Amino acid sequence: MLYKKKFPLVIFLIPGLILIFLFLYWPFIENIKNSFYDITNFVKMPGKEWTFIGVENYKKLLTDSKLRIAFANSIKMMGLAVVFQVGIALGLAIFVSWLRRGENFFRTIYFFPIVISATAIGLIFKLFYNYSGGMLNQFLEVIGKDPVNWLAPGRAFTMIAIPIIWSYVGFYFVILLTGLNAIPEELYEAAKVDGCSKVKQVLYVTLPMMRGVFCTCIILAVTGALKVFDLPWVIAPKGAPQGRTHFLGTLMYEQTFTIGNVDYGSAIGFVIVIFGLLVSLAVNELLKPDANL
Amino acid sequence: MKKKAKWLALFLTIVLALSFVACSSKNGSKSDNSRNTGVTPADKKNPVTLTTVSMFGGTDPNAPNYQAIISQFMKDYSYITIEDDSQVSDQDWKTRIAADFAVGNEPDVIQYFIDANASDVLAADKFVTIDEIRAEYPDYAKDTLDSALKAAANPDGIERAVPTTGYWEGLYCNKDLFKKYGLELPTTWDNLLQAIATFKENNIIPIAVSLNNVPHYWVEALILSAAGSEGYTQVPETVPQDWCTGLAMIKTLRDMEAFPKDTDTIDNDFAGELFKSKRAAMKLDGSWFLSSIPDKQNTVITAVPVMPGGKAKEGEIIGGISSGFYITKKAWEDPDKRDAAVKFVMANTNKEGVTKYWNGSGQAAVSADPIKDMTPLAISGFEYSNKASVTLLPIDSRISQEAYNTLIAGIVDISTGAKTPEDLLKEVLDINAKQ
Repeated sequence: MLYKKKFPLVIFLIPGLILIFLFLYWPFIENIKNSFYDITNFVKMPGKEWTFIGVENYKKLLTDSKLRIAFANSIKMMGLAVVFQVGIALGLAIFVSWLRRGENFFRTIYFFPIVISATAIGLIFKLFYNYSGGMLNQFLEVIGKDPVNWLAPGRAFTMIAIPIIWSYVGFYFVILLTGLNAIPEELYEAAKVDGCSKVKQVLYVTLPMMRGVFCTCIILAVTGALKVFDLPWVIAPKGAPQGRTHFLGTLMYEQTFTIGNVDYGSAIGFVIVIFGLLVSLAVNELLKPDANL
Repeated sequence: MKKKAKWLALFLTIVLALSFVACSSKNGSKSDNSRNTGVTPADKKNPVTLTTVSMFGGTDPNAPNYQAIISQFMKDYSYITIEDDSQVSDQDWKTRIAADFAVGNEPDVIQYFIDANASDVLAADKFVTIDEIRAEYPDYAKDTLDSALKAAANPDGIERAVPTTGYWEGLYCNKDLFKKYGLELPTTWDNLLQAIATFKENNIIPIAVSLNNVPHYWVEALILSAAGSEGYTQVPETVPQDWCTGLAMIKTLRDMEAFPKDTDTIDNDFAGELFKSKRAAMKLDGSWFLSSIPDKQNTVITAVPVMPGGKAKEGEIIGGISSGFYITKKAWEDPDKRDAAVKFVMANTNKEGVTKYWNGSGQAAVSADPIKDMTPLAISGFEYSNKASVTLLPIDSRISQEAYNTLIAGIVDISTGAKTPEDLLKEVLDINAKQ
């Protein structure tokens, strides 16, 4: 009888609605408001009002070279996430699906980095990359080579992108493997009867059947790349070296919490949300995950 | 199946009911016991949980002393539990503390800055003044020197914090490395340049510093060196040329490869390790760094030499009192916590507590007895601070946090030439003017 009475459903939905409004939408609206004021302290001085500065922060965004770097890095990261995170995960998932046994073993092994906190992974890679006494330079020393500054401005982005990609491959691997297992075995058998090689089976059976899962993974990878924060912050905080490894999230954090420029940080936060929405819409439009092609 | 489920439900109900009875009879027996022993609830101290925050956390050399005082305190007052959330002070931590005060999540006792660094927190008006506390507890901060209490007054002149120690900033040198390469200690600018060139040739990092994390000491020292005490202590409205000269020296030093190759990415702790492990010859740091140095025989402290054309005079050093223990109104207005908070601050700031923190480095806020068997390094620090003719508070005690943070965030760009000192200082002074 529950499905006929809608009122109890509404009762159950309201607490969630209140929580999401209180902890997401309200702060978001406050954040937009803050970006139009000059916030000089975290604490509002008694009797002192914030000065309204209009779109000053947004004008500053247009000329901020660090923001340009952060945008470029975030977009590069999206591309890398799609190509390498989803790509490597797809390759691994296909190989594992061909195995007669041991699927669970590989599933566990590849998924493992997901359960390690990003901070711990960041710390591990920081120790790998250290110029003085880091693991990579110790290897180089053993083979008689000069140490390398792995986080030098020219290569820091790549060195930070590696652990970001590595740590999430397992996540997409599990999703894709689940999708692969859902493909009926009869299709492969029919393809075999028609004389399809393994490669052709992947191209003409696996990939078309996986389209929906694929699109989901790409959307997750693209939006996930926008949220990158913890790993780069641990390996090279504040966009180090020389602001070259700033992502939108790290730049917003630095401005707000390290420098204390709350209003400018709020403006960056607002831009991140708008950019995220636009990217999600564009990806949806491009991939059309629900379309029946 | 249905019958089984019914019996199981009945069984669980009985178990639950019995456990309730057992619990209530336990409470009852407890109150009976207290009646039998003649102890009334009024005679007992209510259990108190005190939330505390300090900068003596993580890798801070005073962290073990602070923890030892907490442990002893909880032994002495078994009814008080300390829930401590101490961390090493950095900008992120300061911001978190300010946010805690803004939303009413402040601790009961906090060891925090006393100068402009505390402006956010002071603006919340959540500290009790020493006068108010002394009206009820006349012995509060009785061991602390009056001069130290005055020096720890907030920018509005009101005394709220009880300090433990003062500090100084000095150039730590690995004397054995200087000796090994036949170098003079960097008491003059020429000696400093000579040392940088020689160490670089011998694969020793001349100066351990993290420009991305803690360039503060070099910023302060070079501006003081260029501007002298008068120019250094002003709060300028227009960009002072001397400050630009001082900051420009960071680029000169970087171009000479005086800093580690990865100075843009390492943190201050790692820079400290480079110095302690003798991979670096010099490190500019505060008096708190002294106790963490393992080689106390071969490390000495000198002043940063005055740069050519610099206006600083010999004996002008950076230091002073920068922090102290505060009691918040939240604790003061709670009858149970008030006494506990006062006791806790006194345990940290009495002669015994301060002597632990001081241990011969920096300046004690009480009249501490001389430390016996001081190490050569401690003697060097002691002599360095005693020789000082003027001790000047750093720039961050005079300008707004956002302005100072902007200055620090721009130092890497200054060192690479991506930004000129003039442009950075203009930005900094504009921000400061808004406050």
